Amino acid sequence: MGEVWKVAVTDSLNKFLGKVITFLPNLLAMITILIIGFLIAWMFKKILYRFLRAIQFDRVSERWGLTHILSKGGVAYSPAYLLSRFFYWVIVLITLILGVNALEVAATQNLIAQFFNYLPHLFAAIVILVIGYLIAIFAGQATLIAAVNAQMESARLLSRAVRWFIIILSLTMALYHLGIAEKVVVAAFSITFGGIVLALAIAFGWGGRELAKDFLEKLSKGRDERDKGQDHISHL
Amino acid sequence: MEKPFQSQLEDIKEADILVGIPSYNNLQTIGHVVGAVMAGLAKYFPNVKAILVNSDGGSTDGTQDEVKKVQIEDFKTVLISYPVHPIHKIITPYHGIPGKGSAFRTIFEAARSLNAKACAVVDSDLRSITPEWMELLLRPIYEEGFDYVAPLYGRHKFDGTITNSIVYPLTRALYGKRIRQPIGGDFGFSGKLAKFYLTNDVWETDVARFGIDIWMTTLAIAEGFKVCQVYLGAKIHDAKDPGSDLGPMFTQVVSSVFGLMREYETLWKGIGESQPVPTFGFHYEVGLEPISVNLERMIGNFRLGVKDLMEIWEKVLSSETAKWLESLGRSSDKAFFFPQDLWVRIIYDFAVAYHHGSVHREHLLRSMIPLYLGRVASFVKENMDSSAIEVEEKIESLCRVFEEMKPYLIGRWRIGGE
Repeated sequence: MGEVWKVAVTDSLNKFLGKVITFLPNLLAMITILIIGFLIAWMFKKILYRFLRAIQFDRVSERWGLTHILSKGGVAYSPAYLLSRFFYWVIVLITLILGVNALEVAATQNLIAQFFNYLPHLFAAIVILVIGYLIAIFAGQATLIAAVNAQMESARLLSRAVRWFIIILSLTMALYHLGIAEKVVVAAFSITFGGIVLALAIAFGWGGRELAKDFLEKLSKGRDERDKGQDHISHL
Repeated sequence: MEKPFQSQLEDIKEADILVGIPSYNNLQTIGHVVGAVMAGLAKYFPNVKAILVNSDGGSTDGTQDEVKKVQIEDFKTVLISYPVHPIHKIITPYHGIPGKGSAFRTIFEAARSLNAKACAVVDSDLRSITPEWMELLLRPIYEEGFDYVAPLYGRHKFDGTITNSIVYPLTRALYGKRIRQPIGGDFGFSGKLAKFYLTNDVWETDVARFGIDIWMTTLAIAEGFKVCQVYLGAKIHDAKDPGSDLGPMFTQVVSSVFGLMREYETLWKGIGESQPVPTFGFHYEVGLEPISVNLERMIGNFRLGVKDLMEIWEKVLSSETAKWLESLGRSSDKAFFFPQDLWVRIIYDFAVAYHHGSVHREHLLRSMIPLYLGRVASFVKENMDSSAIEVEEKIESLCRVFEEMKPYLIGRWRIGGE
């Protein structure tokens, strides 16, 4: 009985030691990955921040209106600081995932594989949103200036409409790319956009035909008056 | 260079004088311009080998055919003697982006290829050009050793508003030479200067469009070429709808001026008071056609700018200037007055913003147009009953303000307008 008990205890101990010995290198690998990863993240953050400062990224962001938006949202940090922090946390996140993966625990590995498969979509969506936002700011400003120079009283409204249309379009594209309720997003966008166009068409063609008539008459009269009052200055 | 054009130049081999005429759909006036040029060359340079180059931007109204039609026999009444050499005419399409500057590039290339000693360019929409213009533009180059001849005209007091309110005073304050019409459009220049122009790679920029005139004038001054101006008389050109052309014309000219400021920063920072340049020609008063100006529309455009573009202007102007503009936007049409020092401050602030790129450059320049119209409206209002001489004095006074406030520009240029 004593022999059996002894064998059972020894076997369990051996098995446990075996598992510890198998697990230990993985643990060491994880610790090494974490240390190196954090170090790389820290160095990358520093280098990127200096690089962004050197190329005057903050000034460019100011020109594009990004700084203005951040300050409106209560963010006091500069865009260069925020971008370098963002990449720091991206590297930290990747390091953590790699570290956990190094432990070779079956349950987490599936999750990590799925995460990595999804990562390109996430990056693509972020890129779409950033580019969409920049285009919206640029096109909105260009519309505003062109409308003012064309002497349109509703220049600001037109500029905002252009800006929001591009932002909503890029948001729709980003959500579609992320695979979040793809059909619902596309359908919602189509319905909203189609609805606006239809509403305008109905309002202009039927509901507000008197208004439309007045508007066209004023436009035509205004053009005639403008032609009559045209400057004949040669600017050069 | 196009092959047929090149082979035509090779056939001619050499020329002493070259006159270039850029054109695009100028059927109404080109015949008169070509006629005046040919008569002028035959009358004043009968013993000189001369060539006329029409650099056309693809006219569809028969401009090129009209140029071909004009013959020296048509001018028997104005010629004392016939030219020893026949005047060659070359009609060629220009290459590069569409614009006046690209047309000029083709003319410079022809001058280099033919080793021309003296060259002149004249606008193809002129109704007031006479054969004498050829002598006036070419003689200082051909016989007096000058490299660049700028025009002086008798113009309506409200004509040439970009010249009078921006280009002339700014160029004068920056480079210290009083060239009254730096973007006149009709110039004389030496073959040496034409070759120098071609060494610059600017043919994809606004210089290839309306920026060419100020670029030519500025380079001639800044690179130390011998410069003068000649009085040509009245400048009357074909009537077009000016409102439709203002945007691109304004941005191309102003972007060229601001771009050149960046290039010649060291030079203009060291220049103090401006000096007159040698001036030739007989000055006489000319009768000019009246010009209609819609002040209400200009002031309205300025007010709209104050209402909607202030968020862009605030990135460029000091808070004091922005407040000044806001109060100006609130004033009635009757009380509307845009002071000279406010205008100069704005021009200098925009030049600094262009240099530092604090706002997208195309947007920056386009957003300037309501300010420019406001200043023009005020100028017209102030001078409605003034004589041409009195108006010229007002322009002179604006130039002095530009010169006096140059330290403000230098200070802002260094710190980036912050």
